[in-house]
Amino acid sequence: MPTVKFKTISMGIFLHQELKPDLAALNALLPSVLEQGSRLYPDYLTLQRELENLYGADIATDIIKSGERHILAFTLETAHDKYLGEDGKLLQKGMSLLGSVVGDPLVVDGAFRKDYVKQEKSQLIKDIKAMLNDKVSYALERCLALMCAEEKFGIYKLGQIEDYEQIDAAGLYRHYGDLFTRSPIDLYVIGDLDEKQVLEAAGEVFSFSRNGEYYTLPETEIMRPVNEVKYVEEEMTVNQSKLVLGFRTYTGFRDLLHCPLMVYSGVLGGFPHSKLFMNVREEAGLAYYINSRLEQHKGLMVISAGINYADLQKAREIIDRQIEDMASGAISDAELHNTKQGLINQLLSRQDSPSQMISFHLEGSVGGKAYSVEELTAGVEAVDRKDIMAVAERIKLDTVYLLRPREGGSQ
Amino acid sequence: MIDNCRLIENRELHETLYHYRVHPGMDVYVLPRPGYQKKYAIFSTRFGSIDNQFRVEPEQKITVLPDGVAHFLEHKLFEDERGNVFDRFAALGASANAFTSFTQTSYLFSCTANFEQSLQELLDYVQEPYFTEQTVQKEQGIIGQEIKMYEDHPHWQVFFNLLAGLYREHPVRKDIAGTVESIARITPDLLYRCYNTFYHPGNMALFVIGDLEPDRVGQQVEVNLAARDYKPMGTIIRHYPQEPAEIQEERTVQELVVSEPILYLGFKDMVVEKLQGIELMRREILMELLLDTLFGSSEALYNDLYKEDLIDENFGAEYSAEINYGYVMIGGETKDPDQLYERIMDALSKIKKEGVSSEQFERHRRKLLGGYIRRFNSLEFIANNFLAYRFRGTDLFQLPSILHEVRREEALALVEENLDSARHAVSLIVPPEEE
Repeated sequence: MPTVKFKTISMGIFLHQELKPDLAALNALLPSVLEQGSRLYPDYLTLQRELENLYGADIATDIIKSGERHILAFTLETAHDKYLGEDGKLLQKGMSLLGSVVGDPLVVDGAFRKDYVKQEKSQLIKDIKAMLNDKVSYALERCLALMCAEEKFGIYKLGQIEDYEQIDAAGLYRHYGDLFTRSPIDLYVIGDLDEKQVLEAAGEVFSFSRNGEYYTLPETEIMRPVNEVKYVEEEMTVNQSKLVLGFRTYTGFRDLLHCPLMVYSGVLGGFPHSKLFMNVREEAGLAYYINSRLEQHKGLMVISAGINYADLQKAREIIDRQIEDMASGAISDAELHNTKQGLINQLLSRQDSPSQMISFHLEGSVGGKAYSVEELTAGVEAVDRKDIMAVAERIKLDTVYLLRPREGGSQ
Repeated sequence: MIDNCRLIENRELHETLYHYRVHPGMDVYVLPRPGYQKKYAIFSTRFGSIDNQFRVEPEQKITVLPDGVAHFLEHKLFEDERGNVFDRFAALGASANAFTSFTQTSYLFSCTANFEQSLQELLDYVQEPYFTEQTVQKEQGIIGQEIKMYEDHPHWQVFFNLLAGLYREHPVRKDIAGTVESIARITPDLLYRCYNTFYHPGNMALFVIGDLEPDRVGQQVEVNLAARDYKPMGTIIRHYPQEPAEIQEERTVQELVVSEPILYLGFKDMVVEKLQGIELMRREILMELLLDTLFGSSEALYNDLYKEDLIDENFGAEYSAEINYGYVMIGGETKDPDQLYERIMDALSKIKKEGVSSEQFERHRRKLLGGYIRRFNSLEFIANNFLAYRFRGTDLFQLPSILHEVRREEALALVEENLDSARHAVSLIVPPEEE
C-alpha cells in the first residue's frame, strides 16, 4: 500500500491456521521461538543489535485469535530512509531481517534449539498466568471461556499450561514445517515506496518453495443456540466487582446485518454518548467504565462494567432496560446519528496508522470479505431503526459472569 | 500568513509548525499533515495534581487543595448548562476525551469531519465552567469507582507506592485522582476558585494537527477568545514543599492478586529542579541513552536475566523529568524480586567501574533517533508531547539536534549523580498467601 503520509516503512507477515485445542500452544510458541534467533542472526542479542543498527527498527511477533482462526503475526517497522539520509536500502534490509526470522530459522539436528524452546515455554506459561493481573481483561476472558466452553472459540489464544509440557524442540520444528508450507499467508508493506521495488524485494526474500497442500480453514461457528443462560460468580481479593455479559448475535462478518450490528452495539455501548454510558455512569453514577463491544467474526457482543458489588442489582436493571429499549426501537434520532458518525470517524481514522491499516485488511482476510472503507461507511450510513430491531431480535444473552470481592472482604 | 504567526522548522522530519500568540497570551500551534483523514486538537492547562498550593499575585493568602482537585475538575468540565459535552461532540462525529497528569490537564478531540465546529465546541466548553452541588456529588460516585479500579491494578499501585517511598514532601507522591476521602471535600466553590486561576488563557496552550490551513485555525481561536473579554491576570505562584535528599521509605510491600511479584526500583533525582530548557532536555536524553545502554533488550544484562527466567519482555527502565522533580524507575514482573534487585544494583556498580563502549553508545543513539522519527506517524504523539515539552520549557523538535550532540562521558557522569544508591527505594507487589 503506497502512501507518502507516514514517516515509516511498515511490513507484516501473517500465517493463518485453525484455532484448535491440540495446536493452540504450538502456534503460540512458534513466533516467540523464531524471534529468539535465525540462521543468520543466531541469538537474540545479535538480532537486537542488527535492529538497532537499522535505526531501532522493531520486530514484533504475536499470536492473534480472530474468530476461530489462529494467526501468527510477524511485523517490522523502521523509520523511512528519507529522514535519515540513507539511500533507500532500509526496505531491503528490513525485509531481509523479517524474512530471516520467519523463513530461515536456526535449526540444529532437525529441531529448534532446545534452550530457546524451553525458555519460551516458560515465558508463555508465565503469560498465561499473568492474565490474572489485569482484572478487567481477566473477567472478559473468563466470560468468553465459560460461554464458549464447548466451542473452538473457548480456547485461550495461548492455549493451556498443560499443553506446553508435551512440546519439544523437534515436534515444534515439525509443526513449523507443516505450517510454513501449508498455511495461507498475507504479506503487507506500507510506506512511501514503489510497488515494483517492493515486489522485487519480497520476491528475493520470500522465495521459499511452498508446494504443500494449503489448509482448508473452516468457517467460524456462529449459530450455536442458547438453551439456558449461564450465571457464574467468582470470588477474589479485589476492591471492585467486574460484571461481564456475553451475548450471541447470530450475525457474522459477511451477514447483511453486519453494519446494523455495528450500529446496534454502538448505540448501546460503543461510545461515551451511548445508552450504557449515559444511564449507568452519567445518570446513576454507578460505574467508571461500562461499554459493549463486538467479536465480529464469532458474532459475539460483550458488555463489561466495573461496579460496587452492592450496586449489582441496580446496574443489571438499568442495563436490561437499555437492551429492551434497543429491541423496541426506543432510540433517539441523536443516538442513531451520533453513533453512525462515530463509527464512520473510527473507520476513516484507521487509515492514518500503518498497523490499523494492516489490521483492517486482515479482518477482511479472516472474514472472507474484503469490504472497502467506503462500503462500510455507506453501509453504516444506511442503517435505520428497523435494521437495528432486526438485529435485536437475533441477540440472546448467553452468560453472566461476575468477579466479586470475597465475602466479608472489602467492597 | 497572519501577522501574529511565527514558523518553527523541523528539518529532520520535513515539518513546518505554525505558532500563533493569541490575546490574552495563549500559544496556539498548528502542524499541517497533508493526506491524513484525522484532525486532532489538544487544549491544555498547566494545572496538574502537584499544583495543590498556590496564590495569584498580588494576593498573599495561599490556597491549599485537597488531593485530586485537578482531575475532578477535568471530569466536571464535561457537563455544563447545555448538558453533556460528549453528546455534542458525538453529534459532530468527533471523539472527545480528557486526561490529567501530575503537571497538566488536557482536553482533546479527533475527527474526520466537521473540524471547525468541533474546535469551536472544544474552545467553548473548556471556557464555560458549570459546577453545582448536585453534579459534584454525582461525580464523587463515578471517580470513587475509578479509584477502586486503580486499587485493583497492580502496575498502577506499584508505581505510586514507589513514588510515595521516594518522596517525603513533594505532592508527586500522591495519586492523581486523590482518595475517596479527599474528593469528598471538594465543593463547587473550590472548583471555581481553581478554574478562575488555572484556566485563564495565559496559563493554557492549544495544539492542532491534521490536513489543515493554519491561518484559519489561528483566526478562529483569536475570534473565540476575543469575544470573552479576558482581563490580564496576576502571576500564579505555585508552592511546592522543599523535598529533602533522603527518601521516605526504603521498601514498600503490598499484597494484591498477581501471578508473580512485581518489583520497581526507583532513584530520586535531586539535580533536575535546578535545570530548565535545553539543560533539562539534555538530561532526559542522556538518561534515556544511559538506561537503554544498561537495561535495554540488546544488552547482556537483559539477555542474562531473561534466560534465567528472572524477567519477562516487559522489563524496562525509564526516566521521567519535570520542572521540579525527576525519577528513574526500573523493574517488572519477576519470580525472585530479591535476586533481581541484587542484579540491578550489581549492574550499576559494574558500569561505574567499566563504563560503556562507544559502539554501545552509538547503537543506542541510532535507536533513539529512529524511534523518534517513527513516533511522528502519530498525530496524538506529536501534539501531546509537543505541549508537554513546552510546559516544561523544552522543545520536542530539538530532540534530534541534542541527541547528535550528547557525549558518552556525560552519560557516564550521570551514573554517579543520578543513580545514587543513597536515594533509591523499592516497591513490591506480592501475591497474598491464601490465593
